[in-house]
Amino acid sequence: MTRSRPLGLLVLAALLLALPLVLTPNLVNAAIKMMIAALFALSFSLAMGQAGMLSFGHSAYYCLGAFATLHLMRAVEHNLVAWPTPLMPLAGAAAGFVCGLGFGWLATQRTGVYFAMVTLALAELLFTLAPTWIGVFGGESGISTMRMNSWSINFGSDTAVYYLTLAWVVGSTWCLWAFTRTPMGRLALAIRDNEHRVRFLGFNTHGAKTLIFALSTMFTGVAGALLAIANEATNYTVFSAQASANVVLQTFIGGAGTFFGPALGAAVMTFFARVTSDLTRSWLLYQGLIFVIVMLFVPDGIGGLISVHARRLRATAVKHLTVPYLLWLVVGVLLAVGLVFVVESVHVVLSDPYAVLRRANGGALVPYRLMGHEFDPRSPWTWAIPAALIVAGAALLPLARRLTIKGWGQALNESTA
Amino acid sequence: MEFLVVSVLNGVVHGLLLFMVSAGLTLIFGMMGVLNFAHAWFYMLGAYVGFTLTRSVGFWWGLIAAPLIVGGCGVLIERYMLRRVHPYGHTHELLLTFGLAFIIEELIKLFYGDFPVNYAMPAYMKFAAFTLYETNYPFYRLFMGMVAIVMFAVLYVLLTRTRVGIIVRAATYRPVMVEALGHNLPVVFMSVFAAGAALAGLAGAVAGAFFPTGPNMAVDFGTLVFVVVVVGGLGSLEGALVASLMIGLFISFSVGLNWSLSDLFTLVGLGPWAREVGGLFTLQLSTVAASMPFLLMLLVLLIRPAGLFGDRQ
Repeated sequence: MTRSRPLGLLVLAALLLALPLVLTPNLVNAAIKMMIAALFALSFSLAMGQAGMLSFGHSAYYCLGAFATLHLMRAVEHNLVAWPTPLMPLAGAAAGFVCGLGFGWLATQRTGVYFAMVTLALAELLFTLAPTWIGVFGGESGISTMRMNSWSINFGSDTAVYYLTLAWVVGSTWCLWAFTRTPMGRLALAIRDNEHRVRFLGFNTHGAKTLIFALSTMFTGVAGALLAIANEATNYTVFSAQASANVVLQTFIGGAGTFFGPALGAAVMTFFARVTSDLTRSWLLYQGLIFVIVMLFVPDGIGGLISVHARRLRATAVKHLTVPYLLWLVVGVLLAVGLVFVVESVHVVLSDPYAVLRRANGGALVPYRLMGHEFDPRSPWTWAIPAALIVAGAALLPLARRLTIKGWGQALNESTA
Repeated sequence: MEFLVVSVLNGVVHGLLLFMVSAGLTLIFGMMGVLNFAHAWFYMLGAYVGFTLTRSVGFWWGLIAAPLIVGGCGVLIERYMLRRVHPYGHTHELLLTFGLAFIIEELIKLFYGDFPVNYAMPAYMKFAAFTLYETNYPFYRLFMGMVAIVMFAVLYVLLTRTRVGIIVRAATYRPVMVEALGHNLPVVFMSVFAAGAALAGLAGAVAGAFFPTGPNMAVDFGTLVFVVVVVGGLGSLEGALVASLMIGLFISFSVGLNWSLSDLFTLVGLGPWAREVGGLFTLQLSTVAASMPFLLMLLVLLIRPAGLFGDRQ
């Protein structure tokens, strides 16, 4: 496992470098957003996963980083200062770090739910103040600017932005990972597990937490700066609780206890949002369902699931788990298909165009179109089949759980023998 | 004078409404340590249940059924979800309710659309209770206040004067001891959660008929409810009442006042300077009214995190 890791990282790096050559512009843009979300989640998880500080206001630093960068870009555009575009995210980093120090000093005086409430209050305060503070945040419309070419690189294309983002995300990720290996990073873990004891050992925990929080917000600021560079504009809505909520969702779906889990969760969920938001208006419902299911059944997230398999099982022991995992796949597909069909059907049947169609047909329930097929809402089969799928999936669930527990027992036996 | 009286009346009624929602939240937190993120979404659910039943059977049935249905949802959520994640700690419980809030909002959008629905009180309740300085004061505002006051009285008597209340209060402080004495603690927890949800549902059904009922009502209300609970002291019913009234009054006054920081500086002779600097100094109170509750919450959290009436950190 440990020997294959450098090789795996090399393959991943090569893949990321080659991506813009094969992807369509739209997908390159999606990849940029995924990388930014991954960095945001990684920096959030430095505070949450490493030091146990659940922040509900990280969007504030994300947004401040974006605005700081935009102001610098505007200054460059108007020839007030000279600053190369590739180093723009430093403005975001500085804004994130300085604000993180100040706000973090306030917030880290409290722990747990109270800490979360302080960060929420700070973010909401900025969110409600921002639209009235037009000089800095540009009011409702926000501010916008243009990317300048520098170092003889043309930043007009998405490809250049992709490589800029990639370089910053990889560099920041390495910094964040290296931080976990420093004595300070170990101290963060100790504070998460037992703050009292760390204080008894003579450490200044408040100072340490402030610094960790500020480092976290610094990289959040970088993520915000990259977003500003990619979009060339932003407005105060990035401050909203929605952005803070998203990063929390993504981090926990990915697994807050592992280092790369949050990045994985953020990349996957950003891509999921991008794909599904074009297909259906209920995509937030699916996102919420995924989150609740992960919280209920996989509390350690996707990353936790992967690391448990990698650490505890030998490669040969996986054969005991093939049958239960295939069964889980069947359960998942049955439930998902049934549920998605019902939700989408309800959506179509209750929509305004369908109401118009009904009125045109004298109020009768006429057939509706969904995914290129016609369905008759009066036919019992339309509702019985998805209901049967859901019931079948739910009925197979206990069996799948029992088989998994049994398979894990056998696999562990073999791994330790 | 007219501004003063009307503002006080509106502020008190708005505060009482805030109290109806935050009472359940503070009870649940005090007892189970769970900060229920979905609480304001229970309020929204109550409003939509009220709307649906008003359309089909009648307003009063909606008012009776909303707390029952929302309380039922609370039972299911506590029994089959919260209890499951309890071993993983309070953070996971908080996050679970956070995800549930998402789902409730999206389900409501799925069934009722993205726009506010036309949930209105029955016509015979649409009259002016009295006339103040040529302004007709709607009877329904008084009705909302009355419901909240009755609710507070019932809750207070229940918690301080009955055996059920003794067990609930004891379970807040010494859960292990209460269980050792033979009380079924999980059932107590479930009932408190359900009761809190039901109160939010009732508040939604009552207030939804007066204020707009739409998919945004929970987000608008949600953070304000947190402010109330934090300022009053997490777990304290009296604190929630006082903080609700304070914030209700504050909001109703601040939207009508055009004070700014520069006026404050005028008192010490620095007015012209402050007006020249502009920026934050000349922002009027009415435009930043929305930020003030958060500032208050921040100050309370930093200075006295136990809140006005709370007794623990």
